[in-house]
Amino acid sequence: MAPPMFLQAIEDTGFSTWLRESESPFAFYFILLIHTFGLALLVGANAVVDLRLLGVARAIPLAPLQRLFRVMWIGFAMNAVTGILLVLAYPTKSLTNPDFYIKLALIGLAIWVMQKLNTQVFQDSSLSEADMIAKGASLAKYSLFLWFGAITAGRLLAYTYKYLTFPS
Amino acid sequence: MNFAHLHLLLNHFPIIGTMVGLGLFLISLGGKNEDLRRASLIIFPAMALLGILTFFSGTGAQGAIKKLPGVSEALIERHQGAAMLALLFMEITGALSLTGLWKLHGTSRQARWNWNMSAVLLFSIVTVGLMARVGNTGGDIRHPEISSGQEAVAEGSMMSKMVHAFEPAPARVAELMTASKWWWAFMMDMHFVGLVLLIGTVGILDLRMLGFAKQIPIGALHRLLPWAMAGFGINLVTGVMAFTGMDQYYTYDWAFWLKMLAIMLLGLNVAAFYLTDAFESVEHLGPGEDAPPLAKFIAATSLFLWFAVITLGRYIQSFSDTIAIHK
Repeated sequence: MAPPMFLQAIEDTGFSTWLRESESPFAFYFILLIHTFGLALLVGANAVVDLRLLGVARAIPLAPLQRLFRVMWIGFAMNAVTGILLVLAYPTKSLTNPDFYIKLALIGLAIWVMQKLNTQVFQDSSLSEADMIAKGASLAKYSLFLWFGAITAGRLLAYTYKYLTFPS
Repeated sequence: MNFAHLHLLLNHFPIIGTMVGLGLFLISLGGKNEDLRRASLIIFPAMALLGILTFFSGTGAQGAIKKLPGVSEALIERHQGAAMLALLFMEITGALSLTGLWKLHGTSRQARWNWNMSAVLLFSIVTVGLMARVGNTGGDIRHPEISSGQEAVAEGSMMSKMVHAFEPAPARVAELMTASKWWWAFMMDMHFVGLVLLIGTVGILDLRMLGFAKQIPIGALHRLLPWAMAGFGINLVTGVMAFTGMDQYYTYDWAFWLKMLAIMLLGLNVAAFYLTDAFESVEHLGPGEDAPPLAKFIAATSLFLWFAVITLGRYIQSFSDTIAIHK
């Protein structure tokens, strides 16, 4: 079955072609770089919160870690924007790969867990540290697991695609 | 200047440095001198870092001399196999030393002897022995007056034959690393997981020193350091394995060498943090307290260099074949 025609239409636009083919160091690889920075901010900060809730570095007070959710959202915003650009550069490559949808689903779930952590554990000022850990520990486990899955699915995109560009 | 110069310049440091480290360690045992022991525990990881750079420069050195008359490929391969085995022990010694330093910190000056110190002693002795062999086999390549070509590989003493049995064949290692794209994908995946652990922990510590989330006491955040080292360890192992799989690809790439330079500078930055009073000045800072300028400077340098490492790593692919000498 041939991939749907709209993928070819996207690829043929000047912008998509520029993203994909420009020799400029600010085209494809630059976007990929920002996508990696975003990953480091988003998952790095979330992983630290998760590890703390699971008993690592207990000396760190929990309440001020709430500030890290801002770092996570900055990372997420960077990756939403650069992620869309990367799909525009290679629409056929990503949208015809089932792994791409697995990655999106894992990110969606991870962000949902992150938001639950933020609102139900960190923004509820009536909770003591012990309550926060009781409420947050299992969320933290899901979070680590989902982010590991999302990174893996993302890495695998480079090795599992069926078409690099629209087949002629 | 070519890779052969670079390799010759670098290779003396890990060999002699490890010997000096072991010497200090042994003296510290006799004299029960804690400062000397600490010094040796700092020297081992420093040499482990430099050792990687030296190892990486070997491929280019090989490219620079392999076409010269009288240079034997067999001797080069023997040297490379010896270097792989020595590097393994050197990295383990470095990791054990860092664990030792971590345990030493905060304990009383009369720190007890523990399994960790026994392991450092054992592994550093083996490393010194293996490094001597790396030096000898390397010297054989370009000093035919000491021994000549093939016979040197075939003959050798009882001891060198025994050690050789444990040394990997470089071509076989390269084949193993690249045989399956799934294995390669797994290594790259772990390299990203390591990156997240490292940047998450170190990045937050740096940001705190620069004034972000000041309610967190710095000493508490510093307890995350083993996780940062775990991330660095994962990336060191997966990075070296990737290099052994495609050494030609990385060797002739400017982005790769600049990334290595940034990592070496990060080593200096870490040394500056712990060996000046920067660390002491922030270790007991509580909620709301501001870090002094030196610690802030080191934190900013660390953030800058780690982001440079990520940037250069991402550009390795697009900078392939940008070094045109002696390919």
